[in-house]
Amino acid sequence: MKKETIIAIFLGLLFGGVVAVFISLKSKDIELSTNKVIAPPKENVLSPNLTGTEIQSLELSEPANNAIFDKDIIRFKGTAAKDSLIIIQSPIKDLTFKNIQEKFDLEFPLALGENSIKIVVYPKEKQFRPQEKFIKVYYIDSEL
Amino acid sequence: MNKNIKNCFIVLLFYCLLASSIVTAQTPSNTTTASPAIVDKDIQQLKDKIANKVSEIRKQNNKAISGFVLKVDGNSMKLSNSGEVNQVKFDDTLTKVFKVLGTTKKEVKTGDIKKNDYVIISGVVAGNIITANVVLIDENFLVDSGKITEINKEAYNIKVLTSDKNTYGLDIETGTKQYMVNIKTLLKETVGFSKLKEGDTVHFVVKKTGTEKDNNYSAYKILVIPQEYFIK
Repeated sequence: MKKETIIAIFLGLLFGGVVAVFISLKSKDIELSTNKVIAPPKENVLSPNLTGTEIQSLELSEPANNAIFDKDIIRFKGTAAKDSLIIIQSPIKDLTFKNIQEKFDLEFPLALGENSIKIVVYPKEKQFRPQEKFIKVYYIDSEL
Repeated sequence: MNKNIKNCFIVLLFYCLLASSIVTAQTPSNTTTASPAIVDKDIQQLKDKIANKVSEIRKQNNKAISGFVLKVDGNSMKLSNSGEVNQVKFDDTLTKVFKVLGTTKKEVKTGDIKKNDYVIISGVVAGNIITANVVLIDENFLVDSGKITEINKEAYNIKVLTSDKNTYGLDIETGTKQYMVNIKTLLKETVGFSKLKEGDTVHFVVKKTGTEKDNNYSAYKILVIPQEYFIK
């Protein structure tokens, strides 16, 4: 076999290999761009920093469960995860707000007699479960 | 005669001394006794202190319980709340009974309390017995939340699964207040039944009468958090 023939075969194989690798990479890119990825968006994926971390749990310092008040307006004081959605519901009032800071302190009206109140905290990081508390407080007018 | 004059003089002198000593004893001393105004103020302060202490002690011992009336007889009744039974005693002079009518109340008598009424009692608890100061006849509300698992558009009924794995059926009546949280502003807005979807989270309030079947209630009000809030 002539020397030129051997060089031509070698160059042919080399060029063919380069073209094959190029086509393979290109076809992978095309496939990724046309197919829909079935996975949650990047922002919803648990980031390495969040794994193992804990969020501020719902703590209610006021009012105490089964407390008796002689006023029809009380204050809800406590702490919950920052930027979470908090819902406080009773038969006479629904309160929805974003907990901008960890501490919250707000007014809440009471009905005469028994007040069943549910507090639910929906953390901003959706992978965390909502936190709930249920209390009963009583408004007994001092004139009674 | 001289002796008589002398005796008279001695008697007169003795009488004068006796009279002056009585007057001296009756004259109040300005240096040792406080004025009536100061005494009144001190008494008032003492009264206030006692009243505050009594009020404090009453508050400490005052408790409130609630439940459905199982039995009423004369000066006592039995209440049941979530399986717990409490004995309530009425005091003829102390106990006041009111019927709550929305935001107002009407005074009634202990004889107006009937079986299956929902009552709230405020009074002093000793063991399992509470001596009632105030009895309020009211409605019993259930406040809870969960995920909508089923919507029946013909019957206007939704099924809700709560976090403690209870399933409630809620009838959405024309009088049911229906709200939804706006996921951008987080404020509540009034919505219609057609906006509810399976998978939405719902906070609800229902009136409990004790006669409901299959955990199905007429909804008093609902507040929906659309599922889009959790996937945005």
